[in-house]
Amino acid sequence: MDFKEIQELLRLISKLELTEFKLKEGEFELSVRTKHFSSSKQGVAPVPVPAPVLPVAAVPAPSLVPPAPAPAEPGPAPAAPMPPAPKEAHEAPASDESQYLTIKSPIVGTFYRSPTPDKPAYVKVGDKIEAGAVVCIVEAMKLFNEIESDISGRIIKVLVDDAQPVEYDQVLYLVDPKG
Amino acid sequence: MQNRNTLFLGKVLLQFSDLPSTNEYATELLAKSKPIEGTVISAYYQFAGRGQIGSSWESTPGENLTISILLYPVFLEATRQFQLNKAIALGVRDFLASYIPQAPVYVKWPNDLYINSKKVGGILIQNALQKNTLQSSVVGIGLNINQATFSDAAPHATSLFLETGNVFDLSFLLHELCYFLEVRYLALKQGLDEGLDQDYLRYLYRFGQPSIFKRASGELFQGKICGISDIGRLLIDQEGFIEEFDLKEISFMNIR
Repeated sequence: MDFKEIQELLRLISKLELTEFKLKEGEFELSVRTKHFSSSKQGVAPVPVPAPVLPVAAVPAPSLVPPAPAPAEPGPAPAAPMPPAPKEAHEAPASDESQYLTIKSPIVGTFYRSPTPDKPAYVKVGDKIEAGAVVCIVEAMKLFNEIESDISGRIIKVLVDDAQPVEYDQVLYLVDPKG
Repeated sequence: MQNRNTLFLGKVLLQFSDLPSTNEYATELLAKSKPIEGTVISAYYQFAGRGQIGSSWESTPGENLTISILLYPVFLEATRQFQLNKAIALGVRDFLASYIPQAPVYVKWPNDLYINSKKVGGILIQNALQKNTLQSSVVGIGLNINQATFSDAAPHATSLFLETGNVFDLSFLLHELCYFLEVRYLALKQGLDEGLDQDYLRYLYRFGQPSIFKRASGELFQGKICGISDIGRLLIDQEGFIEEFDLKEISFMNIR
């Protein structure tokens, strides 16, 4: 299994929203554990979770997509026992944020908070939005997509910086439906 | 000569002497009403036409086609939107090719139109998305038709006039363009993706030819375009190693 294949595999894993994945192919072993945000209970930021990936240590967590750093050769490393899942990097005040809904990116692309650089942002923290309101643009291959909210509420948090790449299904906004 | 008939595209035509941007007008129209699908907005003079974010589109009054078309491709999932781009780019290409039998007309990835390595037009698509579906699309098309001279800022621009020596009737051409676009759009709607995929590669500028590219880092490399990914990324074969590129990660070296 080469680096490209591993990359492809990780992408697939992240797409399928698997939480755990193990593969054995001869001497080669790969196990991936990810944390996914379920739609009901939200975490905070789309932080790449330090997935315990063995033996290809340099591969990014599946929530990230290439360009990736140069891989370590997937040598016939002994199948080490899976380390315990790392402590959550973000010890979020979960009770606070679990009540919030999310607006996610429906495509891979670049996130823009305003229609053009000289115009104000579509929405900012504290704004009240109705379903159907445009909240941002995600541009992909010269196609500009105005993302409309499918929920109503108050914007609690903006999770992506302007002009940053976003992945499919990445959370863009936290919305308080009772706001 | 009579125009070819269409089913829906261009049946409603809103013609303006001048507009800042036809796409902007179309977007505003959509925000306050639901115009019928295929409505075309055309400007004799578009004085603030948009290119990509931050860039502009230069056009001399009355010499070129600057239009926007309203579509409702609700049948298309958001993740498949590059198929819409293919259909539109091919429609415009077919239209141009029908006037230039002597030179091939290409689509430069993702959606510029090229004749003899010079740019003759561009496309700018703005979609509205809710959840995972496309609600509406404003398809902006700018084509150089009768323009005879270009500023030094655009040394790689050309027009239908410069390529053929003929002066064209713009309103006649507008309806012809609608016809060619409708054929490709209906193919997309019918799910005839295979034909769109094949033709997009067939008419893709520098497909399969050794070319020099530049990475965002500035590094040059040689490779051949060998395909397009599902989401529209460019696939380049570098001696058997195939790498995928996003729009901002790569530029063509032999042309602007």
